[in-house]
Amino acid sequence: MSPAGPNAETDMERIVLDVDSAGDDILAVLYAAASPDIRLEGVTTVTGAAGPIEQVTNVVLNTLSLAGRDDIPVAAGAWRPIVGNAKEDMEAPVNVEKQLIARYGERLKTFNPKAPPPRRPAHERHAVDFLIDTVLAAPGEITVVATGPMTNLGLAILQEPRFAASVKRFLLLGGCFGTPGNMTPVSEYNIWADPEAARIVLNAGADTILVPLDVCEDNRAATGMMTRDDLYDLDEAATDNPVARMIIDVFPIYIDIWREFFALMGFPMDDVITVALAAVPDICTMTEPRFVDVVLDGRLARGQTVAYHGRQILPGGGPATTRVCTGIDGRRFMRMFKDAIARYERSGGEPSR
Amino acid sequence: MTAEPILYDCDPGHDDAIALVMAHRSPAIDLVGVTTTCGNATIERTTTNCLRILEFIGAAAVPVAQGCYRPLARPLVLGTADGPSGLEGSPYLPQATMPLQPLHAVDFLAEKLAAAAEPIRIVATGPLSNLGLLVLKHPEVLPKIRELIWMGGVFYRQSEIITPTEFNAFCDPEALRLVLASGVPIKMVGLDVTMQVLVEAPQYEELGRIDTPLGRLVVDWLKFYEKLHRNSMGVGGALHDPLALALVIDPTLVRFRPAHVGVDLSGTYAFGATVADFWNERGEPPNAEIANEVDADRFFALLYDLLRD
Repeated sequence: MSPAGPNAETDMERIVLDVDSAGDDILAVLYAAASPDIRLEGVTTVTGAAGPIEQVTNVVLNTLSLAGRDDIPVAAGAWRPIVGNAKEDMEAPVNVEKQLIARYGERLKTFNPKAPPPRRPAHERHAVDFLIDTVLAAPGEITVVATGPMTNLGLAILQEPRFAASVKRFLLLGGCFGTPGNMTPVSEYNIWADPEAARIVLNAGADTILVPLDVCEDNRAATGMMTRDDLYDLDEAATDNPVARMIIDVFPIYIDIWREFFALMGFPMDDVITVALAAVPDICTMTEPRFVDVVLDGRLARGQTVAYHGRQILPGGGPATTRVCTGIDGRRFMRMFKDAIARYERSGGEPSR
Repeated sequence: MTAEPILYDCDPGHDDAIALVMAHRSPAIDLVGVTTTCGNATIERTTTNCLRILEFIGAAAVPVAQGCYRPLARPLVLGTADGPSGLEGSPYLPQATMPLQPLHAVDFLAEKLAAAAEPIRIVATGPLSNLGLLVLKHPEVLPKIRELIWMGGVFYRQSEIITPTEFNAFCDPEALRLVLASGVPIKMVGLDVTMQVLVEAPQYEELGRIDTPLGRLVVDWLKFYEKLHRNSMGVGGALHDPLALALVIDPTLVRFRPAHVGVDLSGTYAFGATVADFWNERGEPPNAEIANEVDADRFFALLYDLLRD
């Protein structure tokens, strides 16, 4: 680890990270645990893209063990969304995997494998209680970063009326505006998976930054995606770095899947970008604070995010407190990511650039 | 008689208030906890009302935990029948001094259920927000719920006095949907039967004979509570919640029929409507028992008995 310098404890952004443990959530956890600018108060888990809550929680526990950070609490959260969607639609992301087997065969074994039993148990408190306790203990200081469906955040707001007013900021990965959605043509997975929860959070009146697909799952933002070149850089910098080694071993299949299925130039780093914004908000350009609403009705547009720009004849709207990311300095972000991962180097040398 | 342990989730509310009185006075019921929700009034008011009622009737030892301040996914809707405080008509009821449990209702329910030796019954007579939150947050305790008896829904009858949607279902349909999908056995005591237990002249006469502070309190509540009914529909107050509660004491008061129940989340005129699939066209197994017949006379006889000293 590098000397404290400008990153003394007091300057660090205190965050709680809420994840559903798909591939980039793992990288987000690793980034948050290593970033010199971030103090990771805890990780909470939610059912989402990676399957049942036990799997999600075990993946996070194992990831933190790999990072040598068994000191960071991991609290298990919601096992289902508030309303959700039709069963066959909810299972669709898992079925995509099955389609990929024909293409990738054995290589798919490293894609979201069943987590082995973790070294330590999860925190004894429910994720919702962990969020409420942590935020209320330090009003105005904790940034809550959510990179999965927003069920836990919604439940925290429902259970504790002071929660939303006590967070420093919500940083949310979700939604899409100009870029096509990944569940329906207008709906992004995290919002779609629990639109009611997302709507509760976006209506809560808290300072919020929304990171939509537009700045991560769109080839116009390709400089912020992870490619084999980045894996090469990680390899060059590493001498004895178990985290870099894991990424180099596991993530080629992710890069390939996102290229094949979504036609993206690399593996999109949605969740890592969202975490990185906690300490370095200027890696993204963003709108002025707007009200962002979520479509709840129907099937085609359920989960669509709608930002209130301009002026409309029909009344509507809500708290204009959400800034929507519109662009990203992808090269700078990827350098931040690789620097953070280099901090897991055990040989003691300064990471090479 | 061994008293059955019961958890009661309510939003008092005059008819909840009468149900609380019945629960406390019935030797068949051991009221192990009461949780409050918003509905008939704001959560602050329903909780205050609950504490005042319990303390006044000598039930200050019953633990009370405050619950949801809003429905899970909808804006807050408040009832109008019970007046601004949610319990108009008894201004002389003293403010309570009994303490509130430090836990949120959802955690209190989970704790009580986890600690119970045998699965226990829950009676709920408000919007199901607390129970919906329980399904989301504490699925591990759901097998400890023997049955949920809920005042809500409407299925068979629509008339000049029975609307196509029922208030508790309308307030938090998402919570109802969660509970219906949870596998918890649920009895739905809807408007089909509760609109048949109306307090009219004969009932007032009987109640008037119970010349105790409690008897007079109940009549004072009913006189206010019936105003909305009387003015809009020309009938007396319906004892929705007391009927649901009474089923713990005497399950034969109401007849039920099983069916798969869905709740409409996107209607225009029938938003929150509960729709039963009596013909099994959806091919789903029944997820609820639906009340369709009631013996109102026997219900009132039970009520009078419990109010007499």
